[in-house]
Amino acid sequence: MTVPVELERHIDEIVTHYPPDKTRAATLWLCHLLQEYFGFLGDEQVLWISNKLGLQPINVWEVVTFYPMFTTKPHGKFHVKVCRTLSCELCGCKNIVAHLRKKLGVGLDENTTDGLFTISTVECLALCGTGPVMMINDETFENLTTEKVDAIIDRIRTTGRLDAQPLPMPLAAHPLEKRVLLSNITKPGYTGSLADYEREGGYTALRKALAMKPDEIVAEVKNSEIRGRGGAGFPCGLKWSFLAKGTGKPVYLVCNADESEPGTFKDRQLISYDPHLLIEGILISCHAVGAKVAYIYIRGEMPGGAKILQKAIEEARAKGYVGNGVEIYVHRGAGAYICGEETGLIESLEGKRAYPRIKPPFPAVVGLFGCPTVVNNVETLANIPHIINKGSTWFKTMGVSGSTGTRLVCVSGPVKRPGYYEFEMGKLTLRQLIFDVCGGLKDGRTLKGVIPGGSSMPVMKADQIDVPLDFESLRKAGTMAGSGGIIVLDDSVDIVGATLNVAQFYAHESCGQCTPCREGTLWMEKMLHRIERGEGRPLDVEMLYEVADNIDGKTICPLGEAAAWPVKAFVTKYREEFEKHGG
Amino acid sequence: MADNTVNLTIDDKAVVAPKGMNLIEAAKLVGIEIPHYCYHPKLCIAGNCRMCLVDVGMPKLGADRKPEIGSDGKMVVMFGPKLVIGCNTTVADGMVVLTKSPKVVKAREGVMEFLLINHPLDCPICDQAGECRLQEFSVDYGKAESRFVEEKVHKPKKTALNAKITLDDERCILCSRCIRFMRDVAGQDCLGFIQRGSHSTLTCYLGNEPKTNYDLNIVDICPVGALTSNDFRFQQRVWFLKQTKSICPNCATGCNTVIWSREDVVYRQTPRDNNDVNQCWMCDYGRINYKFINDPHRLTTPSVKSATLGQRVNLTWPEAIRQVVDKLRAAKRDSLAVIGSARATTEELYLLKKFSPSFAAYIPRVGTGDNFLLNTDRNPNAAGAMLTGFSSDYSVIADGIADGKIKTLIVLGEDAIVPELLAKLELLIVLDILPGKTTEAAHYILPGVTFAEKSGTFINAKNRIQRLNPAIPPLVGTKPEHLILSALLAELGGKRYATIQEVFADMTRDVPALAGLNLSKIGDSGVEVKS
Ligand SMILES: Cc1cc2nc3c(=O)[nH]c(=O)nc-3n(C[C@H](O)[C@H](O)[C@H](O)COP(=O)(O)O)c2cc1C
Ligand code: SF4
Ligand code: SF4
Ligand code: SF4
Ligand code: FES
Ligand code: FES
Repeated sequence: MTVPVELERHIDEIVTHYPPDKTRAATLWLCHLLQEYFGFLGDEQVLWISNKLGLQPINVWEVVTFYPMFTTKPHGKFHVKVCRTLSCELCGCKNIVAHLRKKLGVGLDENTTDGLFTISTVECLALCGTGPVMMINDETFENLTTEKVDAIIDRIRTTGRLDAQPLPMPLAAHPLEKRVLLSNITKPGYTGSLADYEREGGYTALRKALAMKPDEIVAEVKNSEIRGRGGAGFPCGLKWSFLAKGTGKPVYLVCNADESEPGTFKDRQLISYDPHLLIEGILISCHAVGAKVAYIYIRGEMPGGAKILQKAIEEARAKGYVGNGVEIYVHRGAGAYICGEETGLIESLEGKRAYPRIKPPFPAVVGLFGCPTVVNNVETLANIPHIINKGSTWFKTMGVSGSTGTRLVCVSGPVKRPGYYEFEMGKLTLRQLIFDVCGGLKDGRTLKGVIPGGSSMPVMKADQIDVPLDFESLRKAGTMAGSGGIIVLDDSVDIVGATLNVAQFYAHESCGQCTPCREGTLWMEKMLHRIERGEGRPLDVEMLYEVADNIDGKTICPLGEAAAWPVKAFVTKYREEFEKHGG
Repeated sequence: MADNTVNLTIDDKAVVAPKGMNLIEAAKLVGIEIPHYCYHPKLCIAGNCRMCLVDVGMPKLGADRKPEIGSDGKMVVMFGPKLVIGCNTTVADGMVVLTKSPKVVKAREGVMEFLLINHPLDCPICDQAGECRLQEFSVDYGKAESRFVEEKVHKPKKTALNAKITLDDERCILCSRCIRFMRDVAGQDCLGFIQRGSHSTLTCYLGNEPKTNYDLNIVDICPVGALTSNDFRFQQRVWFLKQTKSICPNCATGCNTVIWSREDVVYRQTPRDNNDVNQCWMCDYGRINYKFINDPHRLTTPSVKSATLGQRVNLTWPEAIRQVVDKLRAAKRDSLAVIGSARATTEELYLLKKFSPSFAAYIPRVGTGDNFLLNTDRNPNAAGAMLTGFSSDYSVIADGIADGKIKTLIVLGEDAIVPELLAKLELLIVLDILPGKTTEAAHYILPGVTFAEKSGTFINAKNRIQRLNPAIPPLVGTKPEHLILSALLAELGGKRYATIQEVFADMTRDVPALAGLNLSKIGDSGVEVKS
């Protein structure tokens, strides 16, 4: 096996993104690059990487087999990856898969005899509003129909290559929206370049921040009462103030761009259409917390986003924003939802299996490379320039007490106008969102339920949706704002099937580290498969609930809850549907 | 209250525990066991099995910052919304821990059920049966009947992890103890999990198997039967085996061990906890090196080389003792030398030295050591030999034989002097367990026993005196060396020692470093002697 000089040079450069004694962190990057070149990661590639980084082969092998994007045997030249997760299933992805299999004459994960194609199903690609979706290699295809699939495949067959897909046009704002973070993206001619961003006032906040003392920035962010937008809703300023001080170790800032909670596709929009807003937010935050290096951990299935960020960082470097005391590096994931959990993310950034850490210690004390670390979501960080520019008092005029500012929400499922929107928190109810903003349900359907914050959050029944969209109101309603991914279920949805789809996601994404989640999630999936097949037994419904309950609260990381809550909620709220399937 | 301790309550028991101690260890202090799999006191914390979940609360403080008292007259305790893992929770002042509350028991049953659903439950054919923590706890917390009706996850069974160890992945509960041991203790980062979720599988990279001198420790610490020793596999059910506390005789570290035996056969040695010596580990070289105990070539009868017949004649013990004593009486005291073995016990060496005040040496034994347990000195009792007056320079004896100054030699368990020299001796008396060049040349062979068949002490490289205990009876026809030597000495007009304690008591009078000691003071974990 020979690695071309060019590629090795690139690899050597990537390795410098990490501290000299922590180059194991480059493992995922090297896996990506060698797989891109060789088509797969076999024995030779594993040994090459372990030699390069001074690791044991098992260290690399563990990683290769953990992340679904890495493959140990060659795929077809065009790897067709169709999303199978809930929002896409609600939009008919099963038909798309069936159609593809028939058209290409292969089963899942088999290569066509001409070596051109392999079809796989994958978990949510963070494109839920435009489902069904698929990726072919690094390109993304949305709103699929069988005709569209035919056209795509036929074109590849005739031309022998894959066309680069342009970014879709950004969605125009609905009158009920309050666009702050998304304010630039629909401006005529706005491309998200540094020049465009600066023309709209970009990087003035950074200048302002650099003239402030770090403590002042932290105080301003604290005063804004902004809560994290990644899912847990933890107050951002407070998190920053927890950072261990005077440790003599560097501080790291990590931007969580793993966006993989099913139903969520908001961070993708910020990255795609206004990357400098995020870069500026990161630079200000680094100044505030004293970080000299920031990593953007972007999920592996967003290669386009990674390129956009890379380019934006280079633009910002040319202008001296980046590289003058603060470095920003892009770190690509490789298809594991658990990398969204902040300590799983840190382990993955360190080049390991994304095994969430037991806490304490918290990342603010022992985080990336054993150093104090702040992990923030893309959207959280994108708010920082606005808070610095216009002040925390202005920020608090938006939203309601306990939920200040705006929030990006993503709506998917059978509504007339699915998509991403930005609202002041607490100023709009779920009902208004679904019926006024999204135009109600498609095809004369009626509402059956809504999952309000990504598929891990407890479902709400159709009569529970008169609740304002903010952290506290949703919590009082027995669910959570979560990641802002709202999945709508109509009367045609089979709840058992939907529960199975969700359970399958969490079983697939369980890192396997701790007993209840590792064993319980797969057990639930298997039970639901059986119930869906019509082989349910009267005791199964109770058992399903109990298994979920035995996971809930007993695990290392909140994926346990994320897997248990939806099952518990579906079983409790739609019990009769399970019993219908049961014997 | 001392600064470095905290007071807490565990299941209504008051506990004083050192700061920083975790709840599993703190509970142990008051005899409460918090069940656990992944936690191991000598390894970093993984927190993955979730078996040790407990309920932890703190007293509710009133406005006066003092604990509030409820209407029932008891302190009001605020418990957290979730259970916490005992292995990663440290003690705190005022903490209230429940290890048996309904909530805890339910969680534990849940974890047990999860561990068992994909487990093959082939206990009847599993080596680990009888010392399997899964089997043990499943009796206490597992549901008798499985309500799992789905297809189990299948994984590789009976694969060779390396030449010494067999791996059964279906039995593995993914606790990562073995991974952490190999990486952090044995220093070879070679084990890992591949795949993920319920399909996670313990393995090593082909061609990069565990190859340290400590691999077999992972068999000990594996809480289930996933890792088994090929040396022991299917030999014996552990519950039939007797356990005897002992000391490894293979180097000067003197790892504390347990000898597992049944009737007169030794089946294995495993390490025994001693933080001052070997923590809870031992090396594979030492562990495996016990087969000589049951070697079919063991010497089993005293014999004399008959000058007239030119061959060996077996003797009864009384006859052998009588003849050897007669010969020794005739021998000149100043032409008598002894070679002791630093593999012999201190008591044996002490008695042996009494035969020859002038010439006494032991044979040094050197190998490559490491920075962990294995010592370069492969004798377990060189310190004991030196304390009892043996020199490491045995060339003096070889030279003495060569120039005719030494005419009588008693050898205890060594085979170091070349046959040409041995042939020059007028009298050669050998106490040993296996035949060799020296026994071949011996006028008298007096068969002794192995370390597993006797009492006595070794003094290790750090001057720690530690005790051997007989695990099996002396092989028929043999005698423990201290009894042989003491019988000879008695016949020669010395004191007759009936027990090892009497030998030890005399030894403490003659060897200042041992003053004030006795065997019970040495106990199971040994004591340091003055050097
Ligand atoms: C299973 C799981 C998946 C998560 N996925 C994401 C994610 O994709 N993106 C994200 O920003 N946060 C995710 N989180 C939340 C992060 O752990 C963390 O709280 C967040 O990144 C902190 O940023 P914030 O305070 O700015 O919200 C996830 C959490 C869990 C438990
Ligand atoms: S809860 Fe699940 S995902 Fe989280 S650490 Fe445990 S096994 Fe891994
Ligand atoms: S083989 Fe044993 S020690 Fe290793 S992870 Fe499995 S159960 Fe734990
Ligand atoms: S280190 Fe020495 S004493 Fe310990 S087991 Fe090995 S040989 Fe025996
Ligand atoms: S992209 Fe298919 S469910 Fe999210
Ligand atoms: S002992 Fe395994 S989690 Fe505590």
